[in-house]
Amino acid sequence: MTTTPTIEVRDFRMRFGDQVVIDDLSFEVHAGETFGLLGSNGSGKTTTIRALLGIYEPTAGSLLVEGRPFDPALGSRLGYLPEERGLYRKESVLEVMTYFGRLKGLSHEAASSWSKEYLRRVDLADHAKVRLDKLSGGEQQKVQLGVTIMNAPSILILDEPTKGFDPVNRRLLMDLVDEQRAQGSTVVMVTHQMDEVERLCDRILLLKDGRAEAYGTLAQVQDSFGGRRMRLTFSGVLPASPNYRVAVSERNYAELELADGVEATTVVRELLDAGVQLRGFETARVSLEEIFLKVYGEKAVAA
Amino acid sequence: MNRHNLGTVISFEFRRTVLKPKFWLISLAVPLLIAVVVALIAISGQTTADRAQSQDQEAVTFTYTDASGLIDPATATAAGGTLVTDGATARAAVVAGTSECHIDYPSDPLSRPIQVSGQDLGLFDSERYAAVASSVFEESIVHQIGNPRLAQLAVQGPDVQLVTFADGVATPGIAGVIVPALFLVLFYLAVLMLGNQMLNVTLEEKENRVTEMILTTMNPTTLIVGKVIALVLIGIVQGIVVAIPAGFAFSLLSGVMGAPAAAGTATLGSLPIDPVRTIVGALLFLFSFLMFTGLLVAIGAVMPSAKEAGNTFGVVIIAMFVPLYAASLLVSDPHGVVSQVFTFFPLTAPVSALVRNATGGLYWWEAALALSVLAFFGWLFLTLGVRLFRTGSISYASRVNIARALGWGRRAS
Repeated sequence: MTTTPTIEVRDFRMRFGDQVVIDDLSFEVHAGETFGLLGSNGSGKTTTIRALLGIYEPTAGSLLVEGRPFDPALGSRLGYLPEERGLYRKESVLEVMTYFGRLKGLSHEAASSWSKEYLRRVDLADHAKVRLDKLSGGEQQKVQLGVTIMNAPSILILDEPTKGFDPVNRRLLMDLVDEQRAQGSTVVMVTHQMDEVERLCDRILLLKDGRAEAYGTLAQVQDSFGGRRMRLTFSGVLPASPNYRVAVSERNYAELELADGVEATTVVRELLDAGVQLRGFETARVSLEEIFLKVYGEKAVAA
Repeated sequence: MNRHNLGTVISFEFRRTVLKPKFWLISLAVPLLIAVVVALIAISGQTTADRAQSQDQEAVTFTYTDASGLIDPATATAAGGTLVTDGATARAAVVAGTSECHIDYPSDPLSRPIQVSGQDLGLFDSERYAAVASSVFEESIVHQIGNPRLAQLAVQGPDVQLVTFADGVATPGIAGVIVPALFLVLFYLAVLMLGNQMLNVTLEEKENRVTEMILTTMNPTTLIVGKVIALVLIGIVQGIVVAIPAGFAFSLLSGVMGAPAAAGTATLGSLPIDPVRTIVGALLFLFSFLMFTGLLVAIGAVMPSAKEAGNTFGVVIIAMFVPLYAASLLVSDPHGVVSQVFTFFPLTAPVSALVRNATGGLYWWEAALALSVLAFFGWLFLTLGVRLFRTGSISYASRVNIARALGWGRRAS
């Protein structure tokens, strides 16, 4: 028996006028996993999320959440932190949080008491009745995060979650994401932060110009982009060999990209035979950042 | 439509407006302003009456010539006058400042004016010379006629009371305009007090970047309908705040304002009410409000900021109230081409139809057509507003491409 994916995108196509923004995109997100949607600016990540959540109408294809097109009724189980974010700035913190809690299906009392508890946790208890526009940017971010998770969402979608966040709030966000994951929530992260993806995500999708460039578990994607690596500290001169390619080379440090089917022990023996004095080595996979560079180029990463 | 969310939106929007001191300051400012203006007018009126009375009691010394032969010397002398034969010399004395006033009664007062020269006493007080000239003339005529009652009738003319009939029933006349015209005032106040809030119905979410979070918890129709209902409730509260002092003032002044009701008409106090015109006026007001709301919702959904929306809002307001500049035409020629165009063009329809209805210049079929136009465009604007809000309100920094937002661009490609 197969279980319905929490999110299922099939043959999704999106056009704005003559411009094709997403072309034939398919992927699934399973219950309880943390999924990374990666891509450079303009690759179609936010458009995909907006179409998934019914904000955009897709040109073609199906985008399903828990087996059906997204309906605002699902909002009671959804936590969504959009890329463009904000709250009603002229209202008090507690009013706004309670309002969103009510819209997410909580009772007035439950929304209000959860909000007060959360504000205590993030040291904003004294600001409950203060207008949002009187708070600092960092304090507003904390409120925004509270609104996102106040309904204990089973699906958490975070679009560029750390964008504009200071380090304190970034830490808070990651703690909250960890808590949601521990409670079994399905998490979708749209991000540029490769370290976060490597630390948190079970599977990833790399989007480029509206097409899937890579899709699978982290290991599968890493293997498809250069496979295994060896990191060496050594003295001597590395000989040229068909068994590896030198990816990084510094004075006494190098990273070798192993050719398909070549074992690390074979390379070690070859280096020792060539007179290289090895002080240490380890095997590793190619980092996501390097994959990102390879797919999108230096300029995209800088952007 | 999700009732829970609809109720939540209405409650949030209503509470956050009426619980703010600013709302009450603005709401109370309107009746307060009206009260201040009425008080100033009353005080000014009393002052004017007092001054007029004191002028009547102040003596004026003057010289006069009488080419008409109508002036009674005793009357003129009693008023402070001295008969002279050389008018030019007497006027020169006034110019030189040695005489206070000189009056020349012409040979034929029907074709030539009475010439009065006097020392300047200011705009208001100088009028006493003309008053004396008229008073002496009128009293002399009375003296000539010999019958004060006939003389008064000749000077003042009789009172005429007009009663007109339509289909065998007395019509309320000019007083019947007041109640249906109140809907025009009500519409004006609604636009004045709620216009900006209507514009913000969709603009606020965009400016605050809240749209996406909102759209994942409820559909845009629920949000917009909830906000509009909250606005109507706020409008009712504001209306009550204005109406209570206005009603109090009306009850105080009703004795002064009261006009006799024609037979067969209901009355509010002593105000005649035409039931048909009142019902049509109420419907026109409601449908005009609906269309105006829909239009502002759509504008708010398209514009990126309140500042840009404000410019368009200004144009809409001007277009809506342009018919007031042609009010005399709407009243005097209600079935002419200009009146018809104004009545059935959506932006000008509210004011034009309300003016024509108030003055009895709107046929039943014209009222039905105007209501249909308002209802259709109200529905159209609201539907467009919802649609534009769904896709357009996440164009946070730029004006929405309407064709794209409505899906026309996509279908064409």
